[in-house]
Amino acid sequence: MIRGLATRLATLFAILILMTAFGLLGTVWSQNPSYQPDTNWRAPAGAEAKRNPLAKKPGAAAGGKKLFQRNCVECHGDDGSGLEKKHSADLQLPVVQSQTEGALFWKITNGNPDRSMPPFSRLPELQRWQLVLYLRTLSREVPK
Amino acid sequence: MRLVLFLLACTIFPAHAQESPYFVTYDHHLEEPGNLEIETTSTMGLPRAGQRFYFAPYTELEYGVTGGWTAELYLEAQSTSGDSTVFTGWRFENRFRPLAREHFINPVLYLEYEGINEATRIQKEIVGNAPTFGEPNSELAQTHANELETKLILSSTVHDWNIAENFIVEKNLSAAEGFEFGYSFGVSRPLATLASAKDCRFCRENFIAGIEMYGGLGSTNGFGLHDTAHYLAPTISWQISDNASLRFSPAIGLTQQSNPVLLRFGYSYEVRGFAGKVAKLFGARP
Repeated sequence: MIRGLATRLATLFAILILMTAFGLLGTVWSQNPSYQPDTNWRAPAGAEAKRNPLAKKPGAAAGGKKLFQRNCVECHGDDGSGLEKKHSADLQLPVVQSQTEGALFWKITNGNPDRSMPPFSRLPELQRWQLVLYLRTLSREVPK
Repeated sequence: MRLVLFLLACTIFPAHAQESPYFVTYDHHLEEPGNLEIETTSTMGLPRAGQRFYFAPYTELEYGVTGGWTAELYLEAQSTSGDSTVFTGWRFENRFRPLAREHFINPVLYLEYEGINEATRIQKEIVGNAPTFGEPNSELAQTHANELETKLILSSTVHDWNIAENFIVEKNLSAAEGFEFGYSFGVSRPLATLASAKDCRFCRENFIAGIEMYGGLGSTNGFGLHDTAHYLAPTISWQISDNASLRFSPAIGLTQQSNPVLLRFGYSYEVRGFAGKVAKLFGARP
């Protein structure tokens, strides 16, 4: 009786371990494997603290999606997960999503010449904030 | 066949070219690395009494060499009513952006070599003293000029406004004319700063309006406003599609030496990832 219970528990435990492992593997496989975050590319503290003026207008993210498709898809892919041949960032990753909206805005504005990310300062300020709003939806929009 | 496929790919590949509306003034935005912009522009000069109408088209190929270096090649021509049509030369231009990040003032250094003749009328920049526009093309085209032109471009983004100032120094290497000076200023802003959700051609966000002022400042032989041409030019650009835009600017001559009106039209088409497409055409792997 006790032996049977132990076997069942061990089986359940093994299934849990396997599920976790597959979940982790799935997450890793869905990313752009060649992407390595540039640890030197950091927004200044003042820029990080900036608030999104469109934060109370989540509807503006729809315009952000259009801007994303025009300006970002070529390197980051339709779902923002990055393209291996472009060595571009997976925008769904926690390392990106955990950044403040101000930091993302700064990075869109200035680009990163070391990683061939162009600056988008040509876009009006509000449109860059719209892009930030849309970036926030990427992790939720595409199921892993 | 490969070439046909390449041209087809260039045509259908989406790219976004948020074009500045300026014709003369440069801002600090360079071409994205690996992108090619093909532009055809025309300058039409409405004459004063005793002068003739002229039409001066030019084609511009702008390529993003790196994030901080854009190179351009110009081919230009000119046609004067009641006279003739002549090829007026070529220009090779380079713009360098020494500071990578956005600053309050973003400097760009500009260096151009021109192999043109005196029949040129595109008026891409106005320097020195005003030309007379009196001699026939056949004579003007005989006088060749190799010129070196430098500009200091200062440009700022203040909220949604672009403010740009260009200071120009030009030297004709083919004649002892001294150094010629000129200036150009521009201010522009999109008509709407929030992007709508729908894809639309006539949305206000697809239009950028601005105003330019440009003119000559004489030369080392006589610096100042005497006998110089100056123009005030409202300008507008329209993003027709993701990769094409149209621009228009009627420039009003401000001095007796200026043309009363210059009409400028431009159409530009951006080919994104041009370098990669060319490499692929020749068998390179990504």
